[in-house]
Amino acid sequence: MLDGCAGLGGGRLRLIREGEIAVVVSEFEGARAEATAENASAHNRVASHVLASVTPLPFRFGTIASEARLRRYVEENREALSKSLVRVRGCVEMSVKILRDVAASSEGAQEQANALRANPCAQTSAGRGAAYLAAKRREMLGRAALKEQAEEIASWLAAALGDALRESRVRVNGEDALAVRAAHLVERARLEDYRERLRRARAEREPVLRFLTSGAWPPYSFSDAQI
Amino acid sequence: MSVEEFEFGGEDELSLLETLDHVLDSGLVIAGEVTISVANIDLIYVGLNLLLGSVDTIENVLAERLDAQTPRRALSSTSGEDDTTRED
Repeated sequence: MLDGCAGLGGGRLRLIREGEIAVVVSEFEGARAEATAENASAHNRVASHVLASVTPLPFRFGTIASEARLRRYVEENREALSKSLVRVRGCVEMSVKILRDVAASSEGAQEQANALRANPCAQTSAGRGAAYLAAKRREMLGRAALKEQAEEIASWLAAALGDALRESRVRVNGEDALAVRAAHLVERARLEDYRERLRRARAEREPVLRFLTSGAWPPYSFSDAQI
Repeated sequence: MSVEEFEFGGEDELSLLETLDHVLDSGLVIAGEVTISVANIDLIYVGLNLLLGSVDTIENVLAERLDAQTPRRALSSTSGEDDTTRED
């Protein structure tokens, strides 16, 4: 399984077996793995190489341990690791990022802000302090609108993909163009169904929303393996 | 890994950014912003939050950001903002 794949820094890959759990490791001399594009790519290359055969539970990038410490970790966390492996078994991670036009999305809030500005009380009697408060309120309304929109998009996406997902990790964003970033755990056998549902969903909302999809990934978002 | 259904000029670049986003998001590094240019589409903010550098540098940057954010977090808690979705 490890033939033809180099590890971190071009190092050799090894398989360490500890009972029914096997750990793929890169031989590495340093005390720390720098977070460089090359090293991150190496990390992903190894995880993806394994993913071609079986679904791994990726460690966090930069995890370094001696063999003795690693074996102790597996022994002490055997039950949790086994459960996590069962959770991701037969699956891959698919990624969906959904972008929006922030200016258009907060238009409603802007209209409310304009109404605030048009309020004679705010303009004449309250002076500079009121103007400041109005600006803050406008800012908060804008954020609230963006957050609400992001949550609506996340709910819509979840409904559109339905039971094609085994699990998902979704983050909504109330401030930026990136409204939703979702990691989907999808059974390999259901990938085509997932892609078809996603295609149909995109067709509903493009080009108002823009989608960046990628995969299949090792289940980075569904792993809590950490020494 | 493949980047699907997205036409852009620098596929390699976007693939790398996506790789970094996935690998490092669950790893050490969450900071900064990346903007990329996509063919036929205006510059888009992809929101990949990452920073490349030595671990020492990253730890320093994160410490500085934490210090800088402390007053803001206090303000956020009183304004009812949900800061849990923010990565930076």
